[in-house]
Amino acid sequence: MPAEAYDAIVIGAGHNGLTCAAYLARARRKVLVLERRPLVGGAAVTEELFPGFKYSVCSYVVSLLRPEIIRDLGLARHGLEILPLESTFTPLPNGDSLLRSADHDETRREIYRHSPRDADAYDRFGRLMYRMALAVKPILSMAPPDPTSMSLKDLRGLARLGKHFRDLSQEDFFTLYKLMTMSSADFLDEWFETDALKATMSASGIIGTFLGPRSPGTAYVQLHHYMGEIDGVFRAWGFARGGTGALSDSIARAAKGFGARIRVDACAERVIVKGGSAVGVALEGGDEISAGLVIAGLDPKRTFLRLLDASDLPADFLRSIERYRMRGSSGKVNLALSELPSFTSRPGLGDHLRGAISISPSQDYLEQAYDDAKYGEFSRRPYMDIVIPSLIDPSMAPPGKHVMSIFVQYAPFDLNGGWNDERREAFGDAVIDTVSEYAPNLRDVILHRQVLTPQDLEDEFGLTGGNIFHGDLSLQQLFFLRPVPRWANYRTPVRSLYQCGSGNHPGGGICGAPGRLAALEVLKDTRR
Amino acid sequence: MSGRPDAVIVGGGHNALVAAAYLARGGLAVSLFEQREILGGGASTEEIFPGFRFDTGAHRIGHLHPGLVTDLNLASHGLEVVVADPAVFAPQPDGRHLLLWMDPAATAESIRTLSNRDADRWPDFSGLLGRLAGFLAVLHAAEPPDVPRPGRQDARTLLGLARGVRGLGRQNIAELLRILPMSSFELMDEWFESDPLRGALSAAAIRGGVHGPMAAGTAYGLLREVVGSPPGAVCSTLQVRGGIGKLSEALASAALAAGAQIHTGSPVRHVLTYGGRARGIVLGSGEEIETDLVVSGVGPGVTLSRLVDPAVLDPEFLRKLRSVRYRGATAKVHLALGEVPEFTCLTGDGPHLRGAISISPSLEYLELASDAAKYGRISEQPYLEAVIPSLTDPRMAPPGKHAMSVLVQYAPYHLREGKWDARQRDLLADRVIETLAQYAPNLRGAVEDRQVLSPADMESRWGLEEGNIHQGEMTLDQFFFTRPVAGWARYRTPIEGLYLCGAGTHPGGGVTGLCGFNAARRILRDRKS
Repeated sequence: MPAEAYDAIVIGAGHNGLTCAAYLARARRKVLVLERRPLVGGAAVTEELFPGFKYSVCSYVVSLLRPEIIRDLGLARHGLEILPLESTFTPLPNGDSLLRSADHDETRREIYRHSPRDADAYDRFGRLMYRMALAVKPILSMAPPDPTSMSLKDLRGLARLGKHFRDLSQEDFFTLYKLMTMSSADFLDEWFETDALKATMSASGIIGTFLGPRSPGTAYVQLHHYMGEIDGVFRAWGFARGGTGALSDSIARAAKGFGARIRVDACAERVIVKGGSAVGVALEGGDEISAGLVIAGLDPKRTFLRLLDASDLPADFLRSIERYRMRGSSGKVNLALSELPSFTSRPGLGDHLRGAISISPSQDYLEQAYDDAKYGEFSRRPYMDIVIPSLIDPSMAPPGKHVMSIFVQYAPFDLNGGWNDERREAFGDAVIDTVSEYAPNLRDVILHRQVLTPQDLEDEFGLTGGNIFHGDLSLQQLFFLRPVPRWANYRTPVRSLYQCGSGNHPGGGICGAPGRLAALEVLKDTRR
Repeated sequence: MSGRPDAVIVGGGHNALVAAAYLARGGLAVSLFEQREILGGGASTEEIFPGFRFDTGAHRIGHLHPGLVTDLNLASHGLEVVVADPAVFAPQPDGRHLLLWMDPAATAESIRTLSNRDADRWPDFSGLLGRLAGFLAVLHAAEPPDVPRPGRQDARTLLGLARGVRGLGRQNIAELLRILPMSSFELMDEWFESDPLRGALSAAAIRGGVHGPMAAGTAYGLLREVVGSPPGAVCSTLQVRGGIGKLSEALASAALAAGAQIHTGSPVRHVLTYGGRARGIVLGSGEEIETDLVVSGVGPGVTLSRLVDPAVLDPEFLRKLRSVRYRGATAKVHLALGEVPEFTCLTGDGPHLRGAISISPSLEYLELASDAAKYGRISEQPYLEAVIPSLTDPRMAPPGKHAMSVLVQYAPYHLREGKWDARQRDLLADRVIETLAQYAPNLRGAVEDRQVLSPADMESRWGLEEGNIHQGEMTLDQFFFTRPVAGWARYRTPIEGLYLCGAGTHPGGGVTGLCGFNAARRILRDRKS
């Protein structure tokens, strides 16, 4: 094996891997990024699945991306442009609907139409969640200290954290505690009475989890989705112009600009460990590349159960990784449309199609969708989060035509009898049938459809169990417990092997924080 | 009535009796008022059918605070705890069965008939839970500190907890923090493969709640069960000879011996306040009793928005009080049996019938039962926990006959269709008997008489809000420093001189006496300062 070619090799060019590489290169480290697929981005990619139709194949909205990353890496300069996604439209079976838009007064009037009480509560609730997001924000940007450790570093971190919480008002502290422990349905019940409003809001509490809205723990996931921040505006969601792949490309450009090298079609097969520390990466096909350290952007199970030899890891650590939960619960359906769908409750084109379209008519609807999945079936009537990017960014589809992205829950990875082509199509049909109940013309305007099951997400994008967050966002897998106790600081039992994927604090979504924080820890350990 | 009491205790449940006894021992003139003719509240034994005596509420006790048993010398007041061994008998539809014994080795042997892997893992599992439960026992006996800014008076508590945590060791601390918010499903997945075992353990995790074992936070329910079990055992069935009412009687006689006065059949209608201070109570008879210390064993909602005029309370506090969740989903069915039920998977009336009989064949069975509650329906195949005290104590039933007490989930307080009337009660009883008959066919013919206590009945009978047997859900957000209401977890209320001592306070439900014990300790400290 040639003498050390790189300071660091990052395995996987997902947005976190790229972010990590960019920060390291920015600190003048010699960095190589290895990507198995022919393009960078991991689950944040844009692909032209059908001629002229471009898709954000997996991850489709940007909200959690840390502003400090956009600044530090100058992503705007590298072509990142985020188009706000401002409304949420919830069509209802009874022909009515609920539309929350960027226009505060409009939204207030609309909610008032359903419930005057809720219209008043809505503003207070918004302010509360804004305060909660602020309260959690600093935690998103810090490496978790380990409360079970007595090291000076951890104690300092804990002290900082303690001070942060002491500085919260007692009321805010209690609310934060409730958010960490309650179910989103119960939390919203304390505020609102309109079923469709509660259902649509609690839906953000189940995304990527294998829980129903009435299960404790979902209120936190709801908050996690409230932490979106674009240009300092909380709860602002958006598209990257050109799809989420454009976001990955901008980070890749930044990384290259700092001197990082990125190799696609290069599949890491194994991390080479000598004397208990990582010294390089072996590629499929036999090439070996040496480096001072290796950073894995893959999910924890892939990293430790596939790239490493069990003999290189402590037994109890291995056990923790094996029991780390990655239960995929969602699928994706991407459609090419000859024309726009028309919803019975709001026919024709309108702003309601420019934002998110949420199929979440009631809390029971979501619970029933969950019930199917609990017992190993996909939801006959699933929860869906639909967007039509081509309405906001015409470059995504041929003139007059459209692309529709449908996030679908629940679809259990461990489907009874397993996934196959037939079950995949049945799943796709259930999705189309359900949307058609609200937009009858949909069936007739579909040109192409791509159906991604959790199995497909694992096979094509390397998400173990099809889990879009690299691991359940449950309380016992967060902060200093993510991915596993004692190793939530981006380091691993193998010297000079680090992790930078969403399986690390603060977790999933297009966030970049794991990549950035991992890079900062690496730089701490390798000060020059 | 002789003189003006220093303290009035509202309600004669077991926690209220504990508080009365300790306050009397602390030198206070205590008067306790219970609306019913018998003491004990949810811990009472009643003769429902001639000759048949049932523990109508709780039919087993939890971890009685050891200090309490010795301080009050309950043995000399007639308390005799019976430890069932095996604690749990879980019959299976396929003819197999599972027995959970006090001795981990014996339990492992029973598990081995289902799965070798699970049997091999049992010692580690029970060992780990035992260590974590050791710390929880300290936490349960501690008074919740003032968060997020603990004051000087919290030093004692925090020191005790810190010692407990340090005792756990680094790995166990991480395990505790990891397991507390988990679902029982996730915990079982980490350890066991056999459905009967996963089901029997998850049953302990969901008892008394509205959630199923797949809901996050249910693993804590199992930990609570371990806290209440003798060392080495995960599950236990502790009963009181002569019925759980004998515990309440023992507590009452300890309180009387300490000088307390106890009045039954005299409901407290109002708690009088003046200028934000408690100044007395009004009885159902209209009689007014002056006192500046009122201690309520009744639930937080009933106490503060019905006994007290809510108008005197701060609206923000009331909002929090009203958002406390109860949602009872547990019912009781009491069966007078002409003969002992004969279980097909394990015949005879051996020791397996002397503990808890758990109908919980799999975790999925329990989850399915819980789905019904989500939509306001009664489970078609409910989770059941049955005990037959007459097997250990013949006084509980006429010669040759038996009294079977069955805890049933899920039977939601809030029914989508209809309300809890005779029809719904019969439907519930029929489902319970049908379900049991699948395992013990002779039961169908053995039932001579039956009584159903729905959550609605429990509310009217014992003042349990929405029939929740724990005076409030035992979820992590209603736990420790947030029970019953965040900021008011120290047995005090916004009304000076009015305290809470019921299961609605830390550490919550179950027959442990700890709520009354902690409350009395707080009150005596407050009076010193």
